[in-house]
Amino acid sequence: MNRILFSIVRKEFTHIFRDIQSLYLVLGMPLLMLFLYGYAITLDMRQIDTAVIDESHTPESRELISHLSSTDFFRITARDVPLSDIGDLFKERAARCVLIIPPSFARDLAATGDAQVSLIVDASDPNAANFIRNYVGQVVANENQALNPERSALFTVSPRIFYNPDMRSANFFVPGLIALILILITSLLTSIAIVREKETGTMEQILVSPIRPAQIIVGKVLPYTLIGFIDGVMILVVGSLWFKVPIAGSLALALGMMLVYVITGISLGILISTIAKTQAVAMLVAVTLTVLPSTTMSGFIFPISSMPVFLRWISDIIPATYFLEIIRGIVLKGNTLADLYRQALILLGMDILLIAVSVRAFRVRLG
Amino acid sequence: MRRIFYIVQKEFRQIRRVRANFAIIFVAPFFQLLIMGSAITTEVKNVPIATLDFDHSVASREILEAVRSTTSFTYVGAVSSEREAAAVLDRGRAKLVVAIPPHFEQQMKDGEAPRVQVLVDGVDGNSAGIALGYIQATLAREQVRMARFAPLAAARAAPRASTITVIPRMWYNPDLMSKLNIVPGLVAVLLMMLTMLLTAMNIVREKEIGTLEQLMVTPIGSIQLIIGKIIPFFVLGLMQLTVGIVAAGLVFGIWMKGSIFLLYAMAAIFCLSTLGFGIFVSTIARTQQQAMFMSWFFMIFSLLLAGFFIPIENMPQAIQDITYINPLRYFIVIIREIYLKGTGFRFLWKEALAMGAIGVLALTSASLRFRKRLK
Repeated sequence: MNRILFSIVRKEFTHIFRDIQSLYLVLGMPLLMLFLYGYAITLDMRQIDTAVIDESHTPESRELISHLSSTDFFRITARDVPLSDIGDLFKERAARCVLIIPPSFARDLAATGDAQVSLIVDASDPNAANFIRNYVGQVVANENQALNPERSALFTVSPRIFYNPDMRSANFFVPGLIALILILITSLLTSIAIVREKETGTMEQILVSPIRPAQIIVGKVLPYTLIGFIDGVMILVVGSLWFKVPIAGSLALALGMMLVYVITGISLGILISTIAKTQAVAMLVAVTLTVLPSTTMSGFIFPISSMPVFLRWISDIIPATYFLEIIRGIVLKGNTLADLYRQALILLGMDILLIAVSVRAFRVRLG
Repeated sequence: MRRIFYIVQKEFRQIRRVRANFAIIFVAPFFQLLIMGSAITTEVKNVPIATLDFDHSVASREILEAVRSTTSFTYVGAVSSEREAAAVLDRGRAKLVVAIPPHFEQQMKDGEAPRVQVLVDGVDGNSAGIALGYIQATLAREQVRMARFAPLAAARAAPRASTITVIPRMWYNPDLMSKLNIVPGLVAVLLMMLTMLLTAMNIVREKEIGTLEQLMVTPIGSIQLIIGKIIPFFVLGLMQLTVGIVAAGLVFGIWMKGSIFLLYAMAAIFCLSTLGFGIFVSTIARTQQQAMFMSWFFMIFSLLLAGFFIPIENMPQAIQDITYINPLRYFIVIIREIYLKGTGFRFLWKEALAMGAIGVLALTSASLRFRKRLK
């Protein structure tokens, strides 16, 4: 039994090492994605191109403008353009927002104590527009504070940021990437490896040998489990050494949960291999069933709570949704199994269900 | 010319023969737009929030009520101690906890400006920042309201205040809906996926089954062959673009403000580069599987580096430099400008020029490589 299993594993490794190009891809792609996600993704804004129209021409208005331009958020790219040109300014993308200080600004401020400025924002990028509104709000709030030094606030707000005090996006994406890469590698490689044997006809040759189906499956799957695991550990190591992502929780727990999740991916791969007849189809099915939902609907980048209800239902049946909560919980929050038992149980349940279904489907196909 | 026509005819016959192609071109865009257009959102909604009230006064209840009724949050319950607050954050039951310290109201009356604490789960830094912004805005409004209706010590003590108010006006997208920005971008992404993938897969398939060699021994030149291969996929791309435009309109009610002719012209220029990439991939890949892997790879990178949902301005300079050779970067800008602002060619020619240059370069170098491979 063990010798047969060992031979199949060795045969599978020979296949893997013979196709060295794909092996590079399998080990290199996670690293590339890690660097891309670690460096490139940050949604907040800096140095926003801003136009100011000062119709007031007073020391007060100039002070407001200088406060605006002295922050890191705004960069003034145009001054005193005619109001009718704002549309063109936006279409040319020369500015993302225009601050207009009306002629009566200083007069109103002195007479009634209540002055208004308008802010016109190019909201075609709503995320940017949101930031711009908040930043301008902050600048003006500071200005108000400076105008009324003796007037103290009723109360203040002090935020305390847990788990990721500097709100670094690398801390968010590095553990998340493990969830994405693991499911991609395991489901894709497993399904392709099994379908390839079907396509080339070697599967039937193996079947007429005294090897049992369970041995074939386990033997074929073990090498890919290992590769998936190596990828996961690699991301963790590079993430913590290069991107300085702190690992707050238990490493053993993280590795254990990774194993549970790898089994999910592999049983998905086996299931796909029973449906697909060619490698191209297996690949397509694997990508649409695992990669796409795991990237877009699992909370990997976009928060699930912001999605419409029908997508939240879908996200509830995606394994990555639960593994993301687990791995981020362990790595960033220092969660223990007591905090995560619900997600862990769901993932285990999915494993058992998928293994049962895929082994049965595999047998039916062979019989 | 006749020879090119025959190849085009052959390709169209082959495309028509595969049923799945109809689904890919005419049906899939509806689903892809519906799902991805809804899933990809930078809005922050339904954030689970808990409250912690140590003061149990009128003021603390009013403040927490204002927080609870903010539309961006979903109230999940009150906790009664710091430890419980930490536990709900740990378990992910709430992303934010707003805590009012003891003696809050009294301190406020005495003008001591007490602190409202906001405990934030910072794991998703971006969403956390936006949610925190909502809380701060809500509390600021509440502060103004309280100062007006309950003139407390602090407010009374101050002389008449001078305040500047900002009146924001959001052009092109007054409700700041994410989908207005994402959906036109998706139409561009789908166009890229289809043209690049189909071209690469088609040529590699002919290589795999050996018909490419048969074609080469006919009097058809390699340039004619490439042109004959490109035209059908170019047409298919424009057909899919049409489907995408209709789907964006029917599913999300998003129609373009600008010129439809300009959009098609720009899409044609854009397709030069995606077709070029497709041919390029086909010269490297030996099997359809490799072709698919590579195209997929290419796509992920151009998607991330196109400003599709991650603003390019904030990336490190080295990465920003790379984005300049990404044709999708320009086409995303163009399609959004035309859709949302109705921008004309006057302000888009720079993007068109860059895209065209990359397209011509990609297409010629890929064709040269293709020719060399065949010899």
